[in-house]
Amino acid sequence: MQRSSPLLVITAIAVFIFLLGPLVIVAAASISNTEFLAFPPQGFSLRWFVNVFEVSAFRDTFLISLQIALLGTFLSLLIGIPAAYALSRFGFALPKALSNFFVLPILVPQIVFGFSLLSAISVDFDLPVFPTLLIGHTIIVLPYSIRVVGASLATFDFSAEEAAISLGCPPMKTFYTIVLPNIRGGILAAFILAFITSLNNVPVSLFLTGPGISTLPIQMLTYVENFFDPTVAALSVLLMALTVLVMAVVEKTLGLGYFVR
Amino acid sequence: MTKSLNLTGISAHYGRTQVLKDLDLDVKAGELVSLLGASGCGKTTTLRLIAGFLHATAGRVALDGRDISAVAAHRRDIGLVFQNYALFPHMSVADNVGFGLKQRGVAPQERRARVGEMLDKVGLAAFADRLPAALSGGQKQRVALARALVIKPSLLLFDEPLSNLDAKLRVDMRVEIRELQRAHNITAIYVTHDQEEAFSISDRVAIMDAGQISQYDTPEILYRKPANAFVANFVGFETMMGLRVTGRSGGVTTAEGQGARFALDEATWGPLPDAFTLGARADGLRVMAASEDDGLPAKLSVRTYLGRSYHYRAETPVGSVVANGSIDRPFNEGDRAKLVLVPEQCCILPATP
Amino acid sequence: MNRVLPWLLVTPAILAILVLLVLPLLDTISVTFIQEEGVFAGYQDFFDRRFNRGVLWRTVRIALIVTVIAIAIGFPTAYFIARAPRSWRSILIVASVFPLLTSTVVRSFAWIVILGRNGIINETLMGLGLISEPLSMLYTEGAIIVGLAYLFSPLMILSLVGVLENIDKSVVEASISLGASPAKTFWRVILPLAMPGVIVGAVLVFTGSFTSYTTPVLLGGQRNTVLATLLFREAMTEFDWASASTIAVIMMVLTISVVLIMSRVARRLNPAAA
Repeated sequence: MQRSSPLLVITAIAVFIFLLGPLVIVAAASISNTEFLAFPPQGFSLRWFVNVFEVSAFRDTFLISLQIALLGTFLSLLIGIPAAYALSRFGFALPKALSNFFVLPILVPQIVFGFSLLSAISVDFDLPVFPTLLIGHTIIVLPYSIRVVGASLATFDFSAEEAAISLGCPPMKTFYTIVLPNIRGGILAAFILAFITSLNNVPVSLFLTGPGISTLPIQMLTYVENFFDPTVAALSVLLMALTVLVMAVVEKTLGLGYFVR
Repeated sequence: MTKSLNLTGISAHYGRTQVLKDLDLDVKAGELVSLLGASGCGKTTTLRLIAGFLHATAGRVALDGRDISAVAAHRRDIGLVFQNYALFPHMSVADNVGFGLKQRGVAPQERRARVGEMLDKVGLAAFADRLPAALSGGQKQRVALARALVIKPSLLLFDEPLSNLDAKLRVDMRVEIRELQRAHNITAIYVTHDQEEAFSISDRVAIMDAGQISQYDTPEILYRKPANAFVANFVGFETMMGLRVTGRSGGVTTAEGQGARFALDEATWGPLPDAFTLGARADGLRVMAASEDDGLPAKLSVRTYLGRSYHYRAETPVGSVVANGSIDRPFNEGDRAKLVLVPEQCCILPATP
Repeated sequence: MNRVLPWLLVTPAILAILVLLVLPLLDTISVTFIQEEGVFAGYQDFFDRRFNRGVLWRTVRIALIVTVIAIAIGFPTAYFIARAPRSWRSILIVASVFPLLTSTVVRSFAWIVILGRNGIINETLMGLGLISEPLSMLYTEGAIIVGLAYLFSPLMILSLVGVLENIDKSVVEASISLGASPAKTFWRVILPLAMPGVIVGAVLVFTGSFTSYTTPVLLGGQRNTVLATLLFREAMTEFDWASASTIAVIMMVLTISVVLIMSRVARRLNPAAA
């Protein structure tokens, strides 16, 4: 019964074509049986998908990216969850500026942070490439851990925790049996957001790759700068499939409201 | 200028579900009419349709005989008071009230004067420069009222305007609304689910059920002479008994059914059809000794003390009912009794097949 | 209640950020001021070069244009999403989020396929006989702008969907019932109420574009240097770390100033704060 302006509908449709069209085009180009990128695809071939797995650099850097993303996310949750808990539970006892301080890694341009890490830690302390990368990624995903878990804690009624303690449950055990199960969704959301952010990161990794060690996005960047064949298109399709998979998991477990926060 | 409102044959749909079914409503110029009903009965839909925010799938909305179905909402010249006040949070109280005048191209000087006058009327002159966030619920509602009234609309619509206020304020505000509506002589439609509120301020009330108007009358008639079981139930006739006339002699009609028997004096009850439904409020059933000749047999369960009387929960052939008992002669829980009728608290309805 | 526990819980996070983020940044900042030629010599040197000033201006210009484009396409889209029925809304939000979760390399790469010599636009135009030679659209400033607008519009949409959903529908209806046309209602009621969201979105888009590296490298080529690519070149090709540090500090100061100033503006515009 409610009328909606046709102009608005047309604009919105055009914008969504603009947002999703390029990704569809990449997917289409990945099955082209040509040595160069072509759209509409000419012929049909899966050889570029095979090629993704044959280029050893992609395989190696993917494994490194995976390790960095998993470890970095884990570390960020390890220090982020206690911080988020303290901010929601004892916020009154802590300085107000603290939650702003925890946003610092998002505030500072990542490329600047990457460069600083290179000059200050990697060079000054002669730290190997892998741990430096890990440090960089842990720090940039830390705000996600703190904020997403914090949002989840904000809806948690801490009187349940007090109830458990009054019933004789020791504080530490209360945290595991009462608080943690109730913020599982938030932790999963934080994990996924941090994981994807780390996996896709370019600007921090940019300076921190070294001989033999690079991340997948950096490797893709190098490849695209030098080759024009559809291998990267095929790799893009695989990465998008991974993203779809992750989103499906989120949708199944948490609902999509988490993306809007 | 005061205008009349006519809805004729209105149907409306949300997707595939029909929310209004061939609805007619006539409101005379200057009248305050309430649309009363439970949520989902279509009362808010009707209001939004009149305001122009929804469009009927069939039917006609006319102001003073002129069809306005095709007029855009912002050209209808209808004042609207919302349940949540809907004040513009980024504008001061004065700017909120002046907004409609600005849209009508009223010069700043006159605008200020009229806004000031209106704020005076609702007692908020001192708050002109405040933002809505700094007002209490009652003050917000006054601003909303002032904002709708200042444009001198041809029709004023209220969408549950008092439901976010506390009980005492609600009573004060409804008197205030009635006064302002009378003083400005504006035709008004008032949507509410609160029966007391609707009855207290309206000239006429339309009780709605499932997208239709069940009965449209003055509060007095609705309260005493409901036209059907739905309305009867809505205005508090909770107990219903299907009865059949078994004898008429000497001005007394005997009616029986569902284990009960009543001797009904025609002078009090009027002429009765051969079969009818009798509706009774809690105060319409009086607990008497089981030895009475007539009445509805009952077994009393829970007794509650109300100061002027007792209320009993009673198990009867028509189900579990609430009845009233004298303070002088208390019965015990578990006693057998007869429930007799108090005519002023009962109503006669057509028989249900 | 003990006072130590809260601090104990936040200490690891504070230490991590302090030691691994703040200290390295301070190190970078200090490098720029410890110069043989004087404290501000590094900055003097940076701004003295016409080329650098050009790069800075180009970076700011691109970021501004991208922000304006993102608002222009983000606002109607977000408004459409916010007003869509529930079931549709989540699908549309997923459609906006999906690009954000996809690698920036992939998303910039897509525009090579579209804008390249053998890309879709050139193939189509030549196929239609409208042009005989392929247009060179790739490796231009325009390509960077298109790529960044594509990259960051979803951020604008998501920032706006939140505030637009929170605008009470009845406030809009109140405006219309008082005689304001839909257009007037937009300018006088919806836009002012959505302003905090516009600012948040604009800050995200502006700072993101201003500091972006991947898109300018892939779509801008050698000639269209921006601050991020200049920083990388100074550090990794020229090995001039002092210059690189200077650029890093300039980027950082500009980004943080924009964030701080705009968040103050946003706070002032928020009616609930008053």
